[in-house]
Amino acid sequence: VIKCVVWDIDNTLLTGTYLESGEQLPAPDAGLVEVARELDRRGIVHALASKNPPEAAAYVARVTQLPFAAAECGWGRKSEAVTRIIDGLGIGADTVAFVDDDLMERAEVAAGLPGVLVLSPEDAAEAPDWPDFRPAVLTDEGRRRGRLYAQRRLRQEEARAFGGSRDDFLRQAGTRVQIRPAVAADLPRLHELSVRTHQFTTAGGPVSEAGLAAWLSSGRYRLITARLSDRFGDDGLVGGVLADTGEPDTGEGTAAAAAGSWPAGPAGSWTVPLLVMSCRAMGRGVLDALLAALCQQAAAAGATQLRVRCRVTPRNVPLRLALAAAGLRAAAAGRPAGAEPVLFTRSLSGVLPAIPDWADVTGAAGGRP
Amino acid sequence: VTGEDEILAGLRDMLAGITGRPGLAAAPPPTALLGPDGAGLDSLTGTLLLTEVQHRFGVDVAAEDLSLDSLATLGTLAAFIAARLPG
Repeated sequence: VIKCVVWDIDNTLLTGTYLESGEQLPAPDAGLVEVARELDRRGIVHALASKNPPEAAAYVARVTQLPFAAAECGWGRKSEAVTRIIDGLGIGADTVAFVDDDLMERAEVAAGLPGVLVLSPEDAAEAPDWPDFRPAVLTDEGRRRGRLYAQRRLRQEEARAFGGSRDDFLRQAGTRVQIRPAVAADLPRLHELSVRTHQFTTAGGPVSEAGLAAWLSSGRYRLITARLSDRFGDDGLVGGVLADTGEPDTGEGTAAAAAGSWPAGPAGSWTVPLLVMSCRAMGRGVLDALLAALCQQAAAAGATQLRVRCRVTPRNVPLRLALAAAGLRAAAAGRPAGAEPVLFTRSLSGVLPAIPDWADVTGAAGGRP
Repeated sequence: VTGEDEILAGLRDMLAGITGRPGLAAAPPPTALLGPDGAGLDSLTGTLLLTEVQHRFGVDVAAEDLSLDSLATLGTLAAFIAARLPG
């Protein structure tokens, strides 16, 4: 499924060449702009990669009124420009489409980035009909995704100019991370995160809404959400964690037991089979806050060990960094082995990770700690 | 042959560049890399550092070190890289 379309400017989004147009700058291509607007409504974000000065990107943003998550203007290779966009957005090459009228540029990107879907403007005009451009689930966060990435670009530009520590920037930006027990209305978005996220997930694949609902209804599990906002914008629900407390089940427990498919931990341990976060929230202190809150809630409930089951892939290195920062260590040292999930553990006695001052944590419903 | 001092110097430059904090260009080896103290790397800046390390020294730390214990301090990371330099 495509998450981002990278557009060329000259003779693609514009009906002419920016630098060769003299006084009268070229008009936007109305058909392609309408396609881009439809994709934006589906939560697909847009970026620009153009052999032009940066003013060309500003002009395109103004005349098309589209939110661009990134713009790479310069005279280097387009494959390198697209790589920088992919890295900046924290998404995979196989979720990106590249549209250019120039056959040579398309060939260069196709050769340099085999995962990228390379399209001519004529192909792109039909993209809304293709399954690749139809997300399976679309939530409120999904519909606003284009705007959220445009806000992210402003935030990143300010962070680069800031010069202080990350934590000081997060405070200066008015960052708020709200950690709350999940409610039923959160489940579609948690499911969407499990479908879309590859860098920040412990799971190998999507988790169904029915599975999430079963865990939510059980007394044995804690399903916790993280919401994120700052003065640049409100990102909504960006992360979630499921913890198996190992306590005896209450209420509608049979459904929950059927939904879980991991070995229970030893007595006194909380086991996390699922931890997901939107890659848009990367670098904004959400996982630090979520893991710290989890450690404290588990310790308050009397647990002595926190265990996170995590499938180790080349893509989820950022998640492993967050686990390491929260003091979680793999049972075996050395190289990651095979496709089986690895257990990362930490003791809950002694000093626990501190909840950052930008986070606001409310414990589980029903008066649980 | 690249020695540990050269690796340390290279890592300091990377840290200063990635975090935008010029002071880290003079960080001593016991400087913590992750968490709020020390260099304050998080999942974003930490990933950038590991990518640059692989690019410059040819060592894929994430593939060699499951728990990422090598990221405890600037000194432990330099030693980890030094022990695995190709050739």
